[in-house]
Amino acid sequence: MRGTPERTNEVALIRAAQGGDEDAFEQLVRSYDQNVLRMALNLLHSQEDARDVYQEAFLRVYRNLPKFRFDCAFSTWLYRIVANLCLDQIRKRKVRKEEGSAMETASGEVDRFQFLPERRADVDPQRQLLSHEVSSRIQEVLGHLTPRERIVFEMRHFQGMKLKAIGEALGVSEEAAKNCLFRATQKMRAALGDFV
Amino acid sequence: MNCQQVQTNLSLYLYGELEFGEEDALEKHLGSCAFCQQALGREKQWHSALNAERQDVALDLLSQCRQDLKASLAVTKPKRNLFRSWLGRIESFGFSGTRWSSRLALASLLVSIGFLSARWIDRNGLPGGVGLNGTNAMSMLGPTTARIRDIQPASNGVRIILDQVQQQEVTGRVSDDAVRRLLLQAARDPEDPAIRVDSVEMLKNDPGTDVRDALLYSVEHDPNAAVRMKALEGLRQFVGDPETRAGLQWVLEHDENPGVRSEAIDVLAPANQRFTFNPQFADSLQQIAQAQPDDDYVRDRCFQILRAMNASLDIY
Repeated sequence: MRGTPERTNEVALIRAAQGGDEDAFEQLVRSYDQNVLRMALNLLHSQEDARDVYQEAFLRVYRNLPKFRFDCAFSTWLYRIVANLCLDQIRKRKVRKEEGSAMETASGEVDRFQFLPERRADVDPQRQLLSHEVSSRIQEVLGHLTPRERIVFEMRHFQGMKLKAIGEALGVSEEAAKNCLFRATQKMRAALGDFV
Repeated sequence: MNCQQVQTNLSLYLYGELEFGEEDALEKHLGSCAFCQQALGREKQWHSALNAERQDVALDLLSQCRQDLKASLAVTKPKRNLFRSWLGRIESFGFSGTRWSSRLALASLLVSIGFLSARWIDRNGLPGGVGLNGTNAMSMLGPTTARIRDIQPASNGVRIILDQVQQQEVTGRVSDDAVRRLLLQAARDPEDPAIRVDSVEMLKNDPGTDVRDALLYSVEHDPNAAVRMKALEGLRQFVGDPETRAGLQWVLEHDENPGVRSEAIDVLAPANQRFTFNPQFADSLQQIAQAQPDDDYVRDRCFQILRAMNASLDIY
């Protein structure tokens, strides 16, 4: 269902974009931009910040694309840029301390839980309550991960990237990425073990 | 591996990130330890709970981001040395940076300047309104974008291969063949979910079987939940059709998005509908409820309908 363009097709697109082909650059952006935006939203919980990260990431790609020499996969390079921008944002805002259930949107600050999937009135209220509790517990524990743990967890669990690629994107060894993921999953298990 | 080692590695196991030897040892232990099998079940459950938290990107937000980026790109041009860029292109054909290749690059540059001048003259005309070579074919085609695909020496000079994309405007009713063909094609546009949503929106009230097939394709294959939801709306009119019902059942059993599944069950069995016993439908509902044990809404709706049909719930 989902997927990035075929490797050969992508290489051709990158070469065309390096030669100044605007359409090719746009196609490259469209191949990845949904995942980039989703990752920024999941990590930053702010539409405004996610938009900034999206914008800055693709502008950096645009400016530096002529220097891209295929030393790594294009996706690895792009996610390295996105991860660094998100890490900067998280560190700048000290999200771990600030983050509650509030979330910024274009129309002001709202409670993030209003965006959780709505349950119907005729569903067993006990199950519904439990489901909400699981959701809030998940958000809570995600908020208590270190920035690097959050990024590694996001990349592995939600973006489906392999640890090797995550390590390359973050500029750390695969083993270091694995340790981060290990710590993140330990925390998730400890927090969610009683609920599921 | 002992129980503690197995249980601390369950997530890495589910992610497929254990070494071969570790995975082998873990599976051997799991095969003989009911306690760790239960722990694996719990691990899978919290992974599923997390998956349900994953939100699709709102299309309007994505669209805004794309517009912002386009606006920024319009004022941010990369600093490129035009001559070096051309040399880079020539090098990509396999030539190295020798004096000879520099000459070839220069020659290509001159050819492209000539070509672009010709296009400019073709579009704008020469003073006095005379087209190049007395023809004005390009400007008659409307707005056209062109990209040079290949340049080769030829016996009479140079041979240039161009890719041209011509913009056209097509207006008409959805039932018009040309419009319909384009909409059906746009519903499968791999690049742009917004285009897919718009085309499905336009098609969804059309009763044709080609539209039904396109909507079924969208609900079963489109990676974007908003497009799948829109296609489900359109399938309401085809709900009596066995193929549509089979497609909806597939969605209920396999779609990862709870919102899409809720919409699918409402399309398949509207809340205010009266149900008479139908063994095939009952069987489908039982399979769906079994496939989605954690989806409260879908499971409860299946049970409600089964009760309304006086069908058995006991197979679970």
